[in-house]
Amino acid sequence: MSNKLSNSVPTDREVVLGILNNSEDALNRLYVGYFPMVLQFILNNNGDEDDAKDVYQEAIIVLYNKIKSGDFELSSKLKTYIYSVCRRIWLKKLSQQSKKTNNLSDFEDVVAVEVDFEQHEEKEIQFEKMGSALVNLGEPCKTIIEDFYIHNLSMQDICEKFGYTNTDNVKTQKYKCLQRLKKLFFQS
Amino acid sequence: MKKDIELDAIIEDYLQGKLTAAEASAFEELRVNDPSIDQKVLTHKLFLESLKEYGKVLSLKEQMDRAHSQLDVTALSQKLGPHPSVIVNMWRKNRSAVAVAASFLLLTIFSIYSIQHNTKQNGTYEVMRREITNIKNNQNKLVRTLNSTPRTIKGPVGAAKFGGTGFALTANGYLCTNFHVVRDADSVYVQNNKAESFKAKVVYRDQQYDIAILKIIDNSFIPLSNLPYKLKKNNIGMGENVYTLGYPKDDAVLGEGYISSKTGHGGDTTQYQVSIPINPGNSGGPLLDNYGNIIGVITAKENQVEGATFAIKSKYILEALNAIPQDSLGKKPAFAKKNPLQGLNRTKQIDKIENYVYMIKVYN
Repeated sequence: MSNKLSNSVPTDREVVLGILNNSEDALNRLYVGYFPMVLQFILNNNGDEDDAKDVYQEAIIVLYNKIKSGDFELSSKLKTYIYSVCRRIWLKKLSQQSKKTNNLSDFEDVVAVEVDFEQHEEKEIQFEKMGSALVNLGEPCKTIIEDFYIHNLSMQDICEKFGYTNTDNVKTQKYKCLQRLKKLFFQS
Repeated sequence: MKKDIELDAIIEDYLQGKLTAAEASAFEELRVNDPSIDQKVLTHKLFLESLKEYGKVLSLKEQMDRAHSQLDVTALSQKLGPHPSVIVNMWRKNRSAVAVAASFLLLTIFSIYSIQHNTKQNGTYEVMRREITNIKNNQNKLVRTLNSTPRTIKGPVGAAKFGGTGFALTANGYLCTNFHVVRDADSVYVQNNKAESFKAKVVYRDQQYDIAILKIIDNSFIPLSNLPYKLKKNNIGMGENVYTLGYPKDDAVLGEGYISSKTGHGGDTTQYQVSIPINPGNSGGPLLDNYGNIIGVITAKENQVEGATFAIKSKYILEALNAIPQDSLGKKPAFAKKNPLQGLNRTKQIDKIENYVYMIKVYN
């Protein structure tokens, strides 16, 4: 019972405030709260559980970015918004797989999310590019770059982690890696 | 090479705002003077932003994966996924359509029902109005046309035009009947159950209550013995069994029924509604209760309602009677104090009453 209570869907306000405060708990509850809705939608429209997970996570990212960008206004219920974004994303995926998209079974109301979706697509392209560039970069460059730029480790930490003799060597290594990564990123 | 590394570090520090104010302004000057460095800064800035964005999304995905691992996806998909049964699937997919169809159906049924209901009510309403505006047309005045039954009887020559029923109010020949029976009368004859006819004249008319009082003026008329019945002054309750004697044909006919409403046509409080079979010719007949009290005068029935006969309450007979000069009514009291019919069975009662109920024959 207590488990159920903690899993209960948070209010829209709680979610927005939680995301603005980087609260992992709020994100968790949001995630758990609305996943069944999206799962139902995807499963009943020629998708499987993995599709549901991918679509749902993309939708949460869209919502997250929208809230973080600061101009978020609750013009509809979060539930409706998430559902609409998922629906839009799934439509795109269906058409990419050249499956028929004309008669989706809907379970919720739908609001217009076209603008947010287009923004998301651009970001998604950047994300994919960066991801593939990092993969192509190879180790140990990938980890060094990630540690330094994403996990915000200091030169000293990285130096110790990789067993470099001094930080200058790390700096040189990082520079080389970064140059290669830039090349990979901007070329693709 | 060394120089490039240094420059890169400076650009990074500059973008992250780690340079001091003096260093920053010096660097900005350098940017302005050297477009290649400016270009490098912009590229690096864009790149760093992409990288940060990437990192953010990555960590978000990690968080979500953690959240996802809490879920029992298999159980959920069994619950929410398409049902193996085709029918359930169809229901789920078309739930809204079915709901719309069902509400439409419901709405249709309701509107059809209410339309029917409305028409019915409208119909009644029209009927009611018609009845109210010309009540006379709608109520069958239970006047029997006697043209079809010419009989050679003692009394006037020729056939009577209309017939009704009347009953004795006093022993010396005062009779009560309906006003509408004698309305257009040139001459009125009354006939008793022994087929003896007497000439009578109308001494009192009350159109409002539809009551008329006749007086037998025939020389051959022998005053009656005391009246067997009593005039009930109080109102009578619903459901009381009643009966009437009348002349819808040339011999007296008994009709039996019960009081079905305390008000008459259109809520007329001067009348009862009686459920009793009535035919033309019954107008003016006495309505008696089980104990032989006269409780009303049969006057009309409703055309379009089965079994709705109306009878004027006895109170108004009494009022009419009071309008006649007391000395004309004779020495004997109009009605017995004690009801002689009380306790007798129906057959005996009728046996006695029969002699005091007359057929009214109207000529014009």
